[in-house]
Amino acid sequence: MDLLQPTREAFSLLFSGNPELWRIIFISLRVSLIAMLVVTPLAVAVGFFLATVAFPGRRALVILIQGLLSSPTVVVGLLLYLLLSRQGPFGSWHLLFTQEAMIIGQAIIAFPVVVAFTLSAVQGADPRAHETAVSLGAGTTRAALTTLLEVRFGVMAAVFNAFGRVFSEIGCSLMVGGNILGLTRNIPTAIALETSKGEFAQGIALGIVLMAVALGVNYALAFVQGEGGLK
Amino acid sequence: MSGLLLQIEGLRKNYGARRILDIERLALHAGESYVVTGDNGVGKTTLLRIIAGLESAQISRYQFEGRPILLENFPQRLRQEIIYVHQHPYLFKTTVAANIGYGLKARHLPKAERETLVKEAMEWAGVAHLNHVPPQELSGGEKQRVALARTKVLKPKLYLLDEPTANLDAEARRQTIELIQRLRLDNNCVLIACHDYELINLPHMRRMTLTDGRLLPQVAAASQEQII
Repeated sequence: MDLLQPTREAFSLLFSGNPELWRIIFISLRVSLIAMLVVTPLAVAVGFFLATVAFPGRRALVILIQGLLSSPTVVVGLLLYLLLSRQGPFGSWHLLFTQEAMIIGQAIIAFPVVVAFTLSAVQGADPRAHETAVSLGAGTTRAALTTLLEVRFGVMAAVFNAFGRVFSEIGCSLMVGGNILGLTRNIPTAIALETSKGEFAQGIALGIVLMAVALGVNYALAFVQGEGGLK
Repeated sequence: MSGLLLQIEGLRKNYGARRILDIERLALHAGESYVVTGDNGVGKTTLLRIIAGLESAQISRYQFEGRPILLENFPQRLRQEIIYVHQHPYLFKTTVAANIGYGLKARHLPKAERETLVKEAMEWAGVAHLNHVPPQELSGGEKQRVALARTKVLKPKLYLLDEPTANLDAEARRQTIELIQRLRLDNNCVLIACHDYELINLPHMRRMTLTDGRLLPQVAAASQEQII
């Protein structure tokens, strides 16, 4: 197969400002960014709680969350589909095949990633950080925020990793989004569709964007971490 | 002797079946400096951490300025009066000034007042020139001075200093000892756990030894051999 021609066409599509292509990119970014904005505060709080508060069943819960890290996104999509479908318990919300359904799905996929990485970052924090904060008069919330700030590189890595996972996932988006052009078609679902049709140019163009965002996220993480992230 | 600041009676601390601390009475007075010596692992740090409310223990009576305190729920008010400084102080990964102002911010002091107090404290500790250095890059002595400034700026009544001169070079040690002496002269109560011969034998220092969990007064000045 000649890859040169479709690749050339892919770049031409990207730089000619093809509206259909850029709409797909916009939908992908919008859905994944909103999902991360929704899930991050809760997931970081849960990760911190699990790392610092002992209670019966904590170990089992941590193992469950770590197990969910590798949950297939298509299964999350299937469960969400059943919940949101017309006959499902939340059918009356009419969310199936909307961006909101994709956002919920991606938030569910991102949740265990952010929780598990935050948990690990907080467990690795120097215990003197929390003690110092408390000893200097910080209340529970301020001391917790101080500890999180001290392990901010780990928490940032949690968020960026989760973003990378949801931005590139296809299973859930396809199931609950439905791959509707201009509405719920995002980069991964578009690549799958275009490739199956033999339209490689758009697939390659979107693949380039997907790779660029994935690498860009990592560079952004390294940039915000500065030298601190390498120590 | 000045007024009674802290009085603890019947302090017991166990690690499993092993009793670490068994102290009948400990009384600390305002404007006095105390030093607790003892072998490594004898429980000096644990004692300081219990007084600071960072570790639990069985205590029959804990009185601060004559008022009985329940340690199960260490009151926030007491955190403003008693501050514990780690042997290797932890500095937040912000700036030196933000570290020193941390407790003031927790107390919701207005920004302008905070800045003035932080500036004064930085000058007091001789760390004003270090504000542009990331705290993680400071030397042990500089960290200790920043930690002392961070504590002093809050004007606590009782300073609990854990081995403040350990692992410091001669000059850093001299500077730290000088700051500790100035704390006492400012009518603060300082309780230090240490092995430092010079610190133990400072004039006006009240000496105690922790042996087999018991706290014993030490009347004579310690010799280097005794400490080692």
